[in-house]
Amino acid sequence: MEIDRRAFIASLGGAAAVAAMDHEAKAEALEHYMEDQLDEQVAANQGGQPEKFPTVAEIEAQIETRPYRRGTGGVFTGQRGQNVKKLEPMPDKATLQDFFRLRFAPANHVLQSATRAMKTGMSEEIILACLLHDCVLSLIKPDHGWWGAQLFEPYIPEKSAFAIRYHQTLRFFPDEQAGYEYPDQYYRIFGHDYTPPQYIQDTYKMLKNHKWYMEPRLVTVNDLYAFDPNAKVSIEPFTDIIGRHFKQPKEGLGYDNSPSAHMWRTLARPDNPL
Amino acid sequence: MLQKLLAGVAVSGWLAVALAAQTASAPKTVNGLQVSVAKIERMEKAFLRDCPPGTNTVNAVQRPGDELAVVTVNFKVMPDFKPTMMKRPTATATDDKVYNTSVQFVDVGSVPEYSCQFIYRVPAGTKLKTFTVESATFDIASLDK
Repeated sequence: MEIDRRAFIASLGGAAAVAAMDHEAKAEALEHYMEDQLDEQVAANQGGQPEKFPTVAEIEAQIETRPYRRGTGGVFTGQRGQNVKKLEPMPDKATLQDFFRLRFAPANHVLQSATRAMKTGMSEEIILACLLHDCVLSLIKPDHGWWGAQLFEPYIPEKSAFAIRYHQTLRFFPDEQAGYEYPDQYYRIFGHDYTPPQYIQDTYKMLKNHKWYMEPRLVTVNDLYAFDPNAKVSIEPFTDIIGRHFKQPKEGLGYDNSPSAHMWRTLARPDNPL
Repeated sequence: MLQKLLAGVAVSGWLAVALAAQTASAPKTVNGLQVSVAKIERMEKAFLRDCPPGTNTVNAVQRPGDELAVVTVNFKVMPDFKPTMMKRPTATATDDKVYNTSVQFVDVGSVPEYSCQFIYRVPAGTKLKTFTVESATFDIASLDK
């Protein structure tokens, strides 16, 4: 994205106002400005004007304009460069629903995705995978399919974990037969000239011949249609599915010595310095 | 004078036929839904929204060599409608190749009347001839100009 330096300085109240800002405030202001520009581009696009998608190089050039890395989990960063808020502590013996309420919230995207899977008659394993597929973004973003599967694997059916792990890979590969298009948002966030790295290409090759190919594919299909800012969703309709398929540990998530217990503890206490 | 009159009648007739060919297809009833195809457009970008449509913000984008053929279809829920799962509609090109859409029917009885846009990614220059939703097939060749 190209920044109009004069317009940016004017938006902050002029050169004197900028001079009074420290480096961090300037970086935050720039990030905020760029997000607004992006929103305007998207809005213009929806009005029928062609949107110019960034290149990989342009996206890379934004790295040093931020005080954090793009892959940082949601609980570790403030919204739009603002300071983070104090989090409500997790209750003793925390459940999945507690994490939805206190750490994954608003979770609108995953709730929309699971709602669509339910309404279109998909299996309970797929509905559960849709419900959980992006929750780990609160913890970490790169390779979120693998991290997400690892987080939930001790507690959910094997097919659901498989679907969560590999939906990340299949997001890069359209499948018109299954109803999955390559989304414009990927041109926006990865760059229009982006090529997935070799390990993603190799994983895709493996998946194409896998008997469970459709499990992650169905997650991607529902993923595509779950970015509706006006959709009204809640976790209530999934209570029974969670009850049937999510093995809630009696000690609470984070304290059951499972292979991913430490990940739940990190989500519970993201302000711990060590 | 007579020649001019006849020519005028001929032109009017031709125009009427041409216009009729480009207006919506005759409605058919499918699973308690009255369905008619309104138009076909080629778009560079098209919203990926279910049917009936919400306000999903993700788009499909044209790629080099492809076109997005967008078929707009009108639906009216009839008194005998009973909720049921419906398969994604398909479009068949003049070369008989069948194309799938990613647009899915979700809660089709939730709104009394609505229009949906079904997106088909086709090779550039492809002309569509039929649109099939469940058991009903519509001849859409005249709409795909």
